[in-house]
Amino acid sequence: MKPAGPLLAAIALTAAVTGAGTLAARAGTVIDDWSDIKAPQPPALQSVTVDPKTTALLVLDFTHQICNEKNKPRCVASLPAMKNLLAGARDNHVMVVFSTAGNMTAKDIWADVAPAPGEPMVNSHANKFQGTDLEKILKDKGIKSVIVTGVNANGAVLYTASEAAFLGFKVIDPIDCSSAENEYIEQYVVYNFAHAPLVSSMVTLTTADMIKF
Amino acid sequence: MNREKWLLAIALATTVGLGTSQLHAASIIDEWASVKAPPPPPVKEVTVDPKTTALVMADFVQPICSRYPRCMASLPVAKKVLDAARAAKVLVVYTSIPKVPISAVVADVAPNGDAPFVQSFTDKFLNTDLEKILKDHGITTLLMTGVSSNGAIIETSSEATLRGFNVAVVLDATSAATTYAEQFVAWQLVNGPVISPHITLTTSDKLKF
Repeated sequence: MKPAGPLLAAIALTAAVTGAGTLAARAGTVIDDWSDIKAPQPPALQSVTVDPKTTALLVLDFTHQICNEKNKPRCVASLPAMKNLLAGARDNHVMVVFSTAGNMTAKDIWADVAPAPGEPMVNSHANKFQGTDLEKILKDKGIKSVIVTGVNANGAVLYTASEAAFLGFKVIDPIDCSSAENEYIEQYVVYNFAHAPLVSSMVTLTTADMIKF
Repeated sequence: MNREKWLLAIALATTVGLGTSQLHAASIIDEWASVKAPPPPPVKEVTVDPKTTALVMADFVQPICSRYPRCMASLPVAKKVLDAARAAKVLVVYTSIPKVPISAVVADVAPNGDAPFVQSFTDKFLNTDLEKILKDHGITTLLMTGVSSNGAIIETSSEATLRGFNVAVVLDATSAATTYAEQFVAWQLVNGPVISPHITLTTSDKLKF
């Protein structure tokens, strides 16, 4: 054994003990580990060039009831980036689909990011595919990729993007165009799209100005 | 205060204001290191009604569970919950992903006889008979165990609430690759929009059959 041997053995032993510690902690729950948990490193963002013919922009739930200074200032702060992205999509004839939730209608959406006449709308809770024609609306137009934006990051964005991935769509997430009530939520959702089973293989994380049409 | 100081104050205030929106415009990645988790959510006792509750054994299959040390470590707890559910004649439903059959369920928690079984990616309601199976049995509440917290557990639990079910998630019988993922999922399930009113967090020790 080379001189490094004992050191490696010590590391292996430490790893085994640490592993046992994990097992012992497992007898409890994540609640017991709560204060010791650290966020992993942030994922890398990537530039994306989209094909306007096969890509749709989903603009989810930017209604005054959900997106406002009182409850979600981070959503209001995301509107300028969202407006730019929407303008870029329309300039390049990219299909845009809007959504609302509950009893909200198109009239409740912020004017900067509101649907134009003829642009499709769906209404559903967090997963916008559930109980709507969204899948058909997209597939009828030959859409293969969706750019998912909106609020809440841990509601409409998380569940609609995940479902899109399960349905076979590639997902582009400009992370500056989705928001939640706090940064903890936004951080996790970004991590989730980079690491969650299956979903992560379908999602590209980017920002509005890194998307080229 | 003289005019210069006023101008400076206004400029500073403007910069701070812009700074905030620019931080967001620049994205959460820039705030990453300063993000703190909220306080832990409450874990509650759950009394199971065997007539209206189903135990979901989500993706306890060899190719998945063996990849996650925390899943392997959760098996004794999952077995305890499974045994208690069977003793109380609770409907037990198994899930897996496409192409991984029910025979791949790890031996500790393997199915008995003809347990209902559905295969789908993380949302087990998607393109399966799960909703029909549950409703045909008069089930209104799901008891969730399995792997991965940020896959089958979050997606199936959330979707269940959107389809009208109540859900209790047995934290010590669920797992993910990282505690960070388990932490967020626990928080999200009882705080997330729309879904949270219908979800309870519990542990194997707090379950009464």
